[in-house]
Amino acid sequence: MAIPVQASTETVTLTIDGREVTAAEGTTIWAAAKAAGADIPVLCHDERYDPVGVCRMCVVDVGAPAFAASCVRACENGMDVKTATPELERSRAMLTRLLLADQPARDRDPKQITTGDNELLALADRYGVAREDGLPVSSGRGTDLSNPVIAVDHDSCILCDRCVRACDDIQGNDVIGRSGKGYATRIAFDLNDPMGNSSCVTCGECVAACPTGALTNKPIRDVPIRPRSELDQVDTVCPYCGVGCALTYNVDRERGAIAFAEGRDQPGSKGRLCVKGRYGWDYAASPQRLTVPLIRREESYPKGPLSAEVRGDADGERPDQEGRRQDGSGRRRKPGGLVDYAEVLPHFREATWEEALDLVARRLTGIHAADGPGAIAGFGSAKCSNEEAYLFQKLIRTGFHTNNVDHCTRLCHASSVAALFEGIGSGAVSTTYGDVVNADVAIVTGSNPTANHPVASSFFKQARRRGTTIIYVDPRADKMSDHADIFCQLKPGTDVAFYNGVMHEVIRLGLTDKDFIARRTTNFEALAQTVADYPPERAEQITGVPADLIRRVARAWGGAGAGIIFWGMGISQHTTGTDNARCLIAMCAITGNVGRPGSGLHPLRGQNNVQGASDMGLIPMFYPDYKKADDPAVHARFEQLWGTDLDPQCGLTVTEIIGSVLAGGVRGMYMMGENPFLSDPNINKVRKALSALEFLVVQDIFLTETAEFADVILPASSYLEKDGTYTNTDRRVQLGNKVLEPPGQARVDWEVVQDIANRIGLGWTYTSARDVFEEIVAVMPSYARLSYDNLGLTGKLYPNPDPEHSDGTVVMFGERFNTSDGLAHLVPAEWLPAKELPDEQFPFVLNTGRLLQHWHTGTMTRRSFALDAISPRAEVYVSPGDAAALGIADGEQVRVTSRRGSIVLATRVSHREAPGNCFIPFHFREAAANLLTIDEIDPMGKIPEFKFCAVRIEAAGERA
Amino acid sequence: MAKAQAQVPGVEARAGRFDGPSLIPALHAIQERVGWLPREELVTLARDVRRPLYEIEGLISFYPHFRTEPPKRVALHACRDLSCWLQGADERIAALRERYGQDTEIELVEVSCIGRCDAAPALSINEHPATAGEADTLVSAAREGEPPPVATRSYAGGGAWPNDPYSSAGERYGLLRAVLAGDVNTGQIITALQDSGLRGMGGAGFPAGRKWELVAAQVATPKYVICNADESEPGTFKDRQILAEEPHLVLEGMLLGMLAVGAEEGWVFIRHEYGPEEAVIRREIELLRSAGLAGPDVAGTGRRLSVEVFTSPGGYILGEESALIECMEGHRGEPRNKPPFPGVYGLHGQPTLMNSVETFAHVPIIATRGAAWWKDQGAGEHSGLKFFAVSGHVERPGVYCVPMGTTARQLLELAGGVAGGRPLGAIQPGGASSNFLGPDQLDVPLDFATLAKAGSMLGSGALVVMAEGTDLLAAATNVLAFFRNESCGKCVPCRVGSSKAHRILSGLLANGGGPADVNGEISQLEQVMRRTSICGLGQVALGPVMSVARLAGSTGHGAGDARNGTGSGDGA
Repeated sequence: MAIPVQASTETVTLTIDGREVTAAEGTTIWAAAKAAGADIPVLCHDERYDPVGVCRMCVVDVGAPAFAASCVRACENGMDVKTATPELERSRAMLTRLLLADQPARDRDPKQITTGDNELLALADRYGVAREDGLPVSSGRGTDLSNPVIAVDHDSCILCDRCVRACDDIQGNDVIGRSGKGYATRIAFDLNDPMGNSSCVTCGECVAACPTGALTNKPIRDVPIRPRSELDQVDTVCPYCGVGCALTYNVDRERGAIAFAEGRDQPGSKGRLCVKGRYGWDYAASPQRLTVPLIRREESYPKGPLSAEVRGDADGERPDQEGRRQDGSGRRRKPGGLVDYAEVLPHFREATWEEALDLVARRLTGIHAADGPGAIAGFGSAKCSNEEAYLFQKLIRTGFHTNNVDHCTRLCHASSVAALFEGIGSGAVSTTYGDVVNADVAIVTGSNPTANHPVASSFFKQARRRGTTIIYVDPRADKMSDHADIFCQLKPGTDVAFYNGVMHEVIRLGLTDKDFIARRTTNFEALAQTVADYPPERAEQITGVPADLIRRVARAWGGAGAGIIFWGMGISQHTTGTDNARCLIAMCAITGNVGRPGSGLHPLRGQNNVQGASDMGLIPMFYPDYKKADDPAVHARFEQLWGTDLDPQCGLTVTEIIGSVLAGGVRGMYMMGENPFLSDPNINKVRKALSALEFLVVQDIFLTETAEFADVILPASSYLEKDGTYTNTDRRVQLGNKVLEPPGQARVDWEVVQDIANRIGLGWTYTSARDVFEEIVAVMPSYARLSYDNLGLTGKLYPNPDPEHSDGTVVMFGERFNTSDGLAHLVPAEWLPAKELPDEQFPFVLNTGRLLQHWHTGTMTRRSFALDAISPRAEVYVSPGDAAALGIADGEQVRVTSRRGSIVLATRVSHREAPGNCFIPFHFREAAANLLTIDEIDPMGKIPEFKFCAVRIEAAGERA
Repeated sequence: MAKAQAQVPGVEARAGRFDGPSLIPALHAIQERVGWLPREELVTLARDVRRPLYEIEGLISFYPHFRTEPPKRVALHACRDLSCWLQGADERIAALRERYGQDTEIELVEVSCIGRCDAAPALSINEHPATAGEADTLVSAAREGEPPPVATRSYAGGGAWPNDPYSSAGERYGLLRAVLAGDVNTGQIITALQDSGLRGMGGAGFPAGRKWELVAAQVATPKYVICNADESEPGTFKDRQILAEEPHLVLEGMLLGMLAVGAEEGWVFIRHEYGPEEAVIRREIELLRSAGLAGPDVAGTGRRLSVEVFTSPGGYILGEESALIECMEGHRGEPRNKPPFPGVYGLHGQPTLMNSVETFAHVPIIATRGAAWWKDQGAGEHSGLKFFAVSGHVERPGVYCVPMGTTARQLLELAGGVAGGRPLGAIQPGGASSNFLGPDQLDVPLDFATLAKAGSMLGSGALVVMAEGTDLLAAATNVLAFFRNESCGKCVPCRVGSSKAHRILSGLLANGGGPADVNGEISQLEQVMRRTSICGLGQVALGPVMSVARLAGSTGHGAGDARNGTGSGDGA
């Protein structure tokens, strides 16, 4: 978005420094001069942003009394431009001097003493001018150190407006602007608030934009920030969410630590990062990392939870005012925050890898031998690489001859994937998040992308500024609602009724794509018949969304030339999750909105590698590449490929495995990087199940809540300590490169899996992640032609007919769908209420989800300095009206109780909650939301209803 | 704005600006209701309209009208700029400070020129204009909560000005009626304006007829017409008089402009210090509406001609045409990079005809009596009439309408000569931004070309008179201080350059330095500010200082480089 002019076919011819130059109409003089080889200095201009022309450094002589700012002035026919006359150069030198006079001295400049790339000082060197050369100097405009990781130095600020444009135009956060007037002008956050108290989300885009020392990164964990030339650059991918932003870690090899992270250009993320990616990488350096294999001590049997929080008897203590743990308080435990190793570690003894792995192999094979394949199950992780996911499922399937292998996709998009397979024959997105720019209308539903997919949300916000209509459908009025043209705040669990109502109107108004329906879909009549019963008025009764608003959505959606739907867990995590997703598929199919640029279906994937882990077959009903596990032909092919007998039936899912354990089915489990104790619904039930397991091996980087139930704990490598590939929400397969050495005896996960495989006689000989990837590509047609060599720095989308020359397929299903007949199968859905409705005893609907700063069970993010500092405590979000009615003030401790459990946490009074609803993030072990949630599941996707259960809220009183 | 932006080359980024309705009216409403802008109200506003908090911060910290603290009972604003400074404002302000400085009920603020230079040193008390002599009485009254008295100073009144073609109130708007009746077409008016050679009277002097023709030729719609009634340069108050005494000419000129260019919406953008004059204009607009000459269906033609008043939230910079537009759009009043000019890309990115009060006021008589008549009104070869505000050390400060080309000496004589019969020290013939001329240049005809040739400019039509003995470098530094105070801060040369130059010159004055001590550093700063600033403010800020140095013969620079004015509305 560098030049604010539409591509033009007209050209203009002008003279620049005596040379005739021809440029497209609308080209700026600066761009034309650059192309012609002229080096015009800039400060406020940066090709990432639209020009503002405020620093005047780039002025050129166009023959007018005043010079023109070449960054913004367009080329005109016949112009005679001079870019470097003596007067221009004198002007630039003087402008540099003017700015320098108010800067801190070079040896105190926050940029120069860190990354050392202050662009103003570079210009000072270019013009041979210094701060102390005659102009009156000035300072004392102050600093703002209130943000934990970003320092603001107003003396260093030259008011170039780059941060303003970065914050608004790139990230859409709209926090920074100019305050004051004239010489007293400063950049300010919100209403001139301290940065740390403002609505700033600490994405750091402003730091990346700032040419001087005004906005700089603070060191994290005391690793000094030094010039890039003194650090090692490792190009890799962010370990957090499914957006999969490309980044570069600048590594201090002497300290063996990351100094700072920067966004890296890639066709999807385009160099952007969020707070987790830019500042949340130091978890790997936590002193709580597991570094030695651990075996449970004899005296710690019978097994059970070890810490107070996990035992469930922890809420009798009052955290301090901030909800932070208090060290040295003499209390029985440290309330909140991280697991207290002093409480749990004594229950384990250190062991050698040999001993630990031998034990794992012996116990698992023993259970397998005694109780059969059904007695073993494995949970892999969407945080691990494709290679690890592939090997893990291969180990469980070939080593124990069971399909009881699953991972957290079950808790995330299982229902979406079920509906997508049924409807269009493929569970992956039909187009990329960046394709939103080509959409006339984008529906974002059941998703809180500014928190959960921040960089993707920045593209939604940007698209809206360029004319895309954003329709946001969600029970919570979170930040996306501020950026929506139409916001429908529906009642929780009424999505089917809402979309049936919209489709009712689309069909009634004749806004369907009849040709598309005829050629590319089946079962439209049944769909039409079902939605005929959902006129907007009825939909209003169920959803609470005014009928007229439903009609408006229908007209906008039906009238869109290209429409796209993005959705998240608000759609999938319901007992009607599959039905919800069926409706979205139908929404697109009846309007012909699949298969063209700017149209399609995009379930925003949660984990960095949930797409890849699913692709790899880390799910009980699919072998790699979604080959049905109970299809005899598939079964035969994989038996042949892997050279062993396989389980001919689909295995159990995550939620079913927990049930099976309690019923005495599954007896032994291998968990690689999963923490079901916090992530699964109805923790009290999970606790019983984990306690009941005969043998549990947990492979992780920290001693998680789940690991308290383990017989053996294997210290794993973090994402930063290994090579591998990761597949993001866009189907982009990217290389993650090793940044740091694993601590202590911690080992790379896939090697541990291989060692266990070999101990049970599988005879694996993989030598590297690359080696494993080659097998994956050979096994999986979707990944055909991809290789470590052609993935390059920016990865490749699959499917990809020519990865040497192409980024891959953005828009899928242009001609046919992946179903056997190539058609989209429309599946009508009737609205069904949630399983546990509010009543007098439990009058509130509890919604659970994530915060921007935290990741899932918090094992990583709560050990990140920045993320923990910004978001340290568990809170329940309650609407102002409800809070007033309950007599609860903001910050007050409350007890939230469901039929399954009870937690105590602080209140956050938030206008973003609807009356009658409350929201609790599930990251916080000291107030685990999943103690409250219900373990009812969607019949098809087997996904739990995390987004709906009934609770009551009461002041915690003295007990808190 | 984003979409329009894509169509016109050279439009700068929206940094800090947001689509959607201006928040300025909502902020005014809060201030009206609460008396100031409490934080909770601002947070609620931002949430209700889904706009960023920082946008609000940017506005309330930029426009002096907005208060972020509860007001005191009495707001006593004292002008410190050139015309008032020449009449002892410094001493007067010191005395007020002595008297009221510790008074918890009184807020004493030094402010920029409030356009009452004929009553210097000027004050305003609770937004009510006053002279320094009235201060104590009015402060006591305000302290008691009494409403401000009606304007204590009356206009000349009585006889019509020579640019009024109508001899009675009944004849007014005759030309407008003729155009609406189809008896006169607007093409004829544009031709008459072109033939008359009328140039914009706000400062930059762009030919009015050409501007009308240019905007009329634009295909994009809607179009807008804006009357720039935001004259705010020290010494400048002629438009105030025109607004007060011939509002019908201003509005008729505007409405003719709207018909000529094809606009349905017209705005009078008036500085908030002109409360009494705004009331006059509003009454006149009501009169137009009741006469069916403004409104949804004008004179039964089915044409909509809407005229509204936009009260400036404050700041000299808003006189700059693109800053004015930014303000009307609800943004910080920061001038745009140009081109594109407002005629092509103005309000909301649409073609916009903007002229100053005086320019519009001359249109009816030119169109009625013809270009030849207009040309004949000038002195010698000069054409037309010109309003001048005369202030400073002069016997009868006030507004004078004289033939264009009248010499400075003649105008000074009309105003009764230098106060107290003292010898002349210097004049500024075109407002604070114009270069100083010495007594030997008093016979220069007051017109665009002749003043440019003399090394100054016609500028904003304000003759500031300085008696012999005036410290001219101090006077020019006072002017520089005005520009520094009024700089919007958008571009580096103006924001930082004006501040550094002022510090250097203040130091020099404090050490007893004079024009001969103005050094090469200042000269270099002047050059950089003149050539690299975005708008006229920064371009001219150091001009007067350099002219004083030249008058003293201290630098080797010639006096020949013409400077641009601030372009208050009459740029291309």
